[in-house]
Amino acid sequence: MKHLKRNWPLHLMLVPSLIFLIVFSLVPMGGIVMAFQNYKPFLGFTKSAWVGLDNFRALFERQDSIEVIWNTLIISGLKIIFNLLAPFTFALLLNEVRKAFFKRFVQTLVYLPHFLSWVILGGILLDVLSTDGGFVNQILTSLFGIKPIFFLGDNNWFRFTVIVSDVWKEFGFGTIVFLAALANVNPSLYEAAEIDGASRWKQTLHITIPSMLPIAVVVGTLALGNILNAGFDQIFNLYNPLVYQKGDIIDTFVYRTAILNGEMGLGTAIGLFKSVISMVLILVSYRLAYKLANYRIF
Amino acid sequence: MYHKTKAYRLFSVINTIVLIILSLLCIIPLIHVLAVSFSSKAAADANLVSLWPVNFSLEAYKKTIDNPVFLHSIWVSVKRTVIGTGLTLLLSFMAAYPLSKENSVFKGRNFYSWLFVFTMIFSGGLVPFYIVIQKLHLMDSFWVLVLPGAVNVYLTILLMNFFRGIPKELEEAAFIDGAGHFRTLFSIFLPVSLPSIATLALFSVVFHWNSWFDGLLYMNNSKSFPLATFLQTVIVQKDMSSMSINPKEFELLSQKTVNAAQIFIGALPVLLVYPFLQKYFVKGLVMGSVKE
Amino acid sequence: MKAYTKKLTALAFSMVMVSALFTGCSDDKGATEAAKTASTNTGNVYKEKYDPPVTISTVWGVDPELKFKNGENIENNVATKWAKDTLGIDIKSLWSVTDTNNAFATKLRLSMASGQQMPDVVTVGDAQLAQDLIDSGMFQDAGALFDKYASDTWKKAMAQDPNVWNTYMRDGKRMGIPVLDYAYNHDYILWIRQDWLDKLGLAAPKTIDELEKVMEAFKNNNPDGLKPEDVIPLSIGFKTTMNTWMGDPSWIFGAYGTIPQQWNKGADGKLEYGSINPAMKQGLVKLNEWYNKGFIPKEAALWDENKTSEPAVAGKAGILPGPYWMSGWPLSDTVKNVKSAVWKPIALPTGPDGKAGRHGTQFTNGVTLISTQMEHPEAFFTYQNYMFKNLADSQPGGVFDNGLFKGYDYDMDASGKALRYEDIPGGYVNSIRYLLVRDGARIPDAQMKALLNLADGKEATTRLEKEVKLNYGLDTPAAAKVLMSQEGIAYPNLYTGPTTTTMKSKMDYLNKIENQSLNEIIYGKQPADSFDKFVESWKSSGGDQITKEVNDWYSQLNTK
Repeated sequence: MKHLKRNWPLHLMLVPSLIFLIVFSLVPMGGIVMAFQNYKPFLGFTKSAWVGLDNFRALFERQDSIEVIWNTLIISGLKIIFNLLAPFTFALLLNEVRKAFFKRFVQTLVYLPHFLSWVILGGILLDVLSTDGGFVNQILTSLFGIKPIFFLGDNNWFRFTVIVSDVWKEFGFGTIVFLAALANVNPSLYEAAEIDGASRWKQTLHITIPSMLPIAVVVGTLALGNILNAGFDQIFNLYNPLVYQKGDIIDTFVYRTAILNGEMGLGTAIGLFKSVISMVLILVSYRLAYKLANYRIF
Repeated sequence: MYHKTKAYRLFSVINTIVLIILSLLCIIPLIHVLAVSFSSKAAADANLVSLWPVNFSLEAYKKTIDNPVFLHSIWVSVKRTVIGTGLTLLLSFMAAYPLSKENSVFKGRNFYSWLFVFTMIFSGGLVPFYIVIQKLHLMDSFWVLVLPGAVNVYLTILLMNFFRGIPKELEEAAFIDGAGHFRTLFSIFLPVSLPSIATLALFSVVFHWNSWFDGLLYMNNSKSFPLATFLQTVIVQKDMSSMSINPKEFELLSQKTVNAAQIFIGALPVLLVYPFLQKYFVKGLVMGSVKE
Repeated sequence: MKAYTKKLTALAFSMVMVSALFTGCSDDKGATEAAKTASTNTGNVYKEKYDPPVTISTVWGVDPELKFKNGENIENNVATKWAKDTLGIDIKSLWSVTDTNNAFATKLRLSMASGQQMPDVVTVGDAQLAQDLIDSGMFQDAGALFDKYASDTWKKAMAQDPNVWNTYMRDGKRMGIPVLDYAYNHDYILWIRQDWLDKLGLAAPKTIDELEKVMEAFKNNNPDGLKPEDVIPLSIGFKTTMNTWMGDPSWIFGAYGTIPQQWNKGADGKLEYGSINPAMKQGLVKLNEWYNKGFIPKEAALWDENKTSEPAVAGKAGILPGPYWMSGWPLSDTVKNVKSAVWKPIALPTGPDGKAGRHGTQFTNGVTLISTQMEHPEAFFTYQNYMFKNLADSQPGGVFDNGLFKGYDYDMDASGKALRYEDIPGGYVNSIRYLLVRDGARIPDAQMKALLNLADGKEATTRLEKEVKLNYGLDTPAAAKVLMSQEGIAYPNLYTGPTTTTMKSKMDYLNKIENQSLNEIIYGKQPADSFDKFVESWKSSGGDQITKEVNDWYSQLNTK
């Protein structure tokens, strides 16, 4: 009771957000029942036939189920890692730039690709990576004498291409959050370090990086929420029959079988499966961060 | 001092070169897209444009801008971005504060924060959501663009983590002065977290400005579309297999140039917002001043 | 923390229950309303004009490219005004959505799920959506209404291919009215660079062998002086399918006796899936050979339809398969890039046994459904009969002789001469798309007839002839003639029924292994003999079952 008296403003501050979450998120969550139904819009939740786990079977009982899930995990896992490392490193490099104008200039340019859509980028990549006189292959051939690489049509290269192009597109945008973390660092720390005679490298190691780490852990953990989203727009625009083996992911599969056919039950079931896996991973990394660094991510 | 050492100077040079190369890698494709958007349909459709417009033409921009819906859609977008971002910031700001407390101080914060994360990960899908929108009479209303996404859990968690970086002494000093939670939040936390809030604002602005699917689904006709939705509908997906043919329409359109122009029309305002917000990222500006 | 997660789960479950209750009511309401109104619509009389006006409610999936002028929109425009004034029919729009990214289907499904009012009349292009709507039981036996109210012109048009109804049959009832389209619209021919042929002194290739010689010459002895590696003699692509509309490779298999990725009549009279016919193997061997020689794009597996037209328009491709109307878009742009370029249509080359083949075109591109709750279903026929009489079968001097609405899709100068569409004051808008049924009304063979008349040098007199002449590419009549010279070679897709049970669960996987195997053979990653292995696994992974289901449907059809 005493607790409530002292802390009522804290609860109150949460009330507006909670109302929104209940109305627009928790109440609609009732729709999860569709995962266990052969949902028909005209029958609704109450009258659609219950099918138990049939919708989940559609995902797991295909000959290529393991292949597709594995592709998804690899592609999105690597994306999560590199979409964390690249902006992190880039923020460090940018932090060393003294001239404010140059810094802002670079910052602005690298965040531009985020605004390109994959439809457009797909077309550009097709040309740039072409084995038939594409820019990248020309450079590889003239500089290193390598035979043209079929980046988009070779099972050994497709994932690489997907990940690199995604990192390229997003690293500038991803840097923003780290720059904000850096902006929060108290400058007196650097001043003190300099008076102690610490080298720039030491300052980076002991002040800059530690001040970015919490945010990096948070961003990384939250990214796990997307562990089974390997980037539909990108894959859909880039994949082709030659790379189905390494490039077909859960979302492209859902698109072809559930979305295009209006199979809402199947779509919901797969969505639920993805959410459960994400939740488990987030739980694990939350525990790890708490145990190892005594840090609550959220 | 440190920046006078030889090794550091060498590093600076290399660093500058690396950054320039990275910037170029990012800007060149955009120049290409810009060139395509200013090229003639014939050249673009033949894939003859590289980094400079071929047969300069404003057709693609004209086609987009000539539409009477265009100007109004900008207005809708501005409105939704300003109101939406304002609301999201306010809600995140208020929610992040209690959540940033230790569980020992604020019992219940763990429950709340898991609830937040839960709603971020799980979703009931489109059908029940649509039904809720309909029951609330939000269909075809401007507010459908703003209210459902008002709470952004991701941004709230980010801000909460930024709040934790704020020195405890500031807060304690405020309490000693007799300030309550609300006053501490608005008069102490607000000024020191401006860089973080600028970041949040940027994310939220970009999100609102680029969202198009809600406009398409919940607006009953194109008169109330936001810009992103409108632009989405300017692009024609030529799926001949299920479409009846009207060759006249083909002659009037080139998917490539319009697609390209659309990016610039759509992204320009957001691109302009960024440099404006950047000044808040200047290192330590706020923290330093508070300390004194 | 454990305690909290438990609470959380509990909370989640209670939410599930709450919202299930919450949404449950809407469904019940919809159902009772349907039951109530089903019996009320009797005793109406068909009229030419209704006074007082009757209402038809509908929903619109607006084509993204559709334009409006004079501040109009799809709910309220020259066509709705016309319908009210002329026919006494009030078109009431429940909602409209710009149909991009599948939005129309999504919105219609969602509005059904949320118990929103269903329209009296809805026209749907998406095949699966049409099936779902029919299954909902909200729409009535349209065939019976059609027999009762449709005009002779419309009935005759529909009779040109009685199979158009097949897709919409339920227990012998015709649950929707097929939307007729012009025949042959997606049947393709080859477009070839005639200027290259002329300079090389070659004749248009008639067989696959001759075609190879022509491609060889285009590539290695290019008349425009292009380097061999810059020339794409035959621009085709198969990113998503081998059976498409532009840059289509299916005729190569047609030359050996099958068309892939559709259902053809097999030797035993039963339906067979085209991609597993042994003739595929010969086509694949040929394509592999052409791939190795550089006759087809090195990255054909990555190319979609639009991409195949790029080198053609750039003047780097020698041959582009595609429909007869392509001399307008995209090929007319070629001369802007290469002045000497001349594209001409030629017939499809024949294989070693003198066979040639291409896929056919359905005479329909959608279906109109009529709600059980519609009060005046006859009004819909008043509207459409008028369109079939005056628009589809427009005669010189008729109401729509020059077009539909003056100042919209046509206009005249002071002397009464028809203007080209780009000269219409305020801009051309395709007001035909404002009509209740998309494209108003079309008689399948009308377009081809008009084109053949023009090809034979006849003056353009009817609306259609004038339209074709004013708006289509110059070579369109000639291309139509080429197309009709091979009228018998088309393989229509004979399965037009709903998705079967096994298709639902297996077809996506089968498509995947099919695309994969075919492409790998073409790219030489697998030997041609791996085709047999593909056929084996196709059959055993559900293909046989699907074939059985498809034939059950087909035989049922023929007994009726």
